[in-house]
Amino acid sequence: MNDFTELESELKKLRPVRHSAELMSRVEGALADAGESTAKIIRPQHFRINWLGLGLGLAAAATFLIFARVDFRLTDKTKQTIASATPSLQQKAAALPNYQATGLTQVVYSKRDEGLVFPPGAEGPSRRVRTAKRETLRWRDRQSGAQLAVSYPTEEVSLIPVSGQ
Amino acid sequence: MENVATHEDWKVCFSELAPGLVLFARQWVRSPADAEDVVQDAFVRFWRRNLSIKNRALLYAAVRSAALDLIRRDNRRARREVEVFGEAERSVQPQFEQLDDSQGQLVAALDHLPRDQREVLVMKIWNELTFAEIAEALGISQNTAASRYRYGLAALKKTFQPQ
Repeated sequence: MNDFTELESELKKLRPVRHSAELMSRVEGALADAGESTAKIIRPQHFRINWLGLGLGLAAAATFLIFARVDFRLTDKTKQTIASATPSLQQKAAALPNYQATGLTQVVYSKRDEGLVFPPGAEGPSRRVRTAKRETLRWRDRQSGAQLAVSYPTEEVSLIPVSGQ
Repeated sequence: MENVATHEDWKVCFSELAPGLVLFARQWVRSPADAEDVVQDAFVRFWRRNLSIKNRALLYAAVRSAALDLIRRDNRRARREVEVFGEAERSVQPQFEQLDDSQGQLVAALDHLPRDQREVLVMKIWNELTFAEIAEALGISQNTAASRYRYGLAALKKTFQPQ
């Protein structure tokens, strides 16, 4: 049972003061002015989910991850050789012209919507999304086939304007 | 998507929403003229972004954002508002029509609520937003919105007894 029913009905009896008569005409004028100015503006497309693109992207990412896993196994096989042959391989890798970048893997393991925020200077609210990822870069020596991989965690915060869709 | 700009009868929508929006804006700016400026600014922003009038949470978020922008733009005004909020006589000009003694007492009690509770009450009682819409507009959880509403009503009940 709601203990506040009587109080709520008392509150609802209160009528907010009517706005001034000019407000309507002011808004009408401002809308007309904004219409003239925005008619000349090329609007960026509003955020919409492109299901085809999303599907293709996911398929590509899955394929890439499968190959990345295969690469990991190869790396394990050659790891001892690399370590024993060149203890300072990481430093030398950049200087070695034979090393060629072979791949970049980004694995998103956490994505959190932190809610609405009001960025200063923005026209409207935005959603703040925090994404935690692990990136892995790989290089391969063209001559020996030795591989080098570097993995590190990253965190990304992005503001997505709310479009009201 | 229904668009404010192409809505044939946007004046009807605005007439229905404007009193509640102005009352909501007055949570931050006590002058009715400033509150109307805020509502106008927010409504035009809303139109420029091609947003749906049905998304009331976003409309109220836009009003809140416009009100905070107005305060930020004018530091002197902000200081004055803080001073006004700190005084016993918080509402210089009436926010409600034709008050009798009992209603005046209720409005005074409402005016002394913490701002976070008062804004939820204003959105719920006079703008008839759901807790989900309030939560979205204020960037809080629905439970928090409902709690603030209950705390606000409880505080009002302590100080106000209907005659």
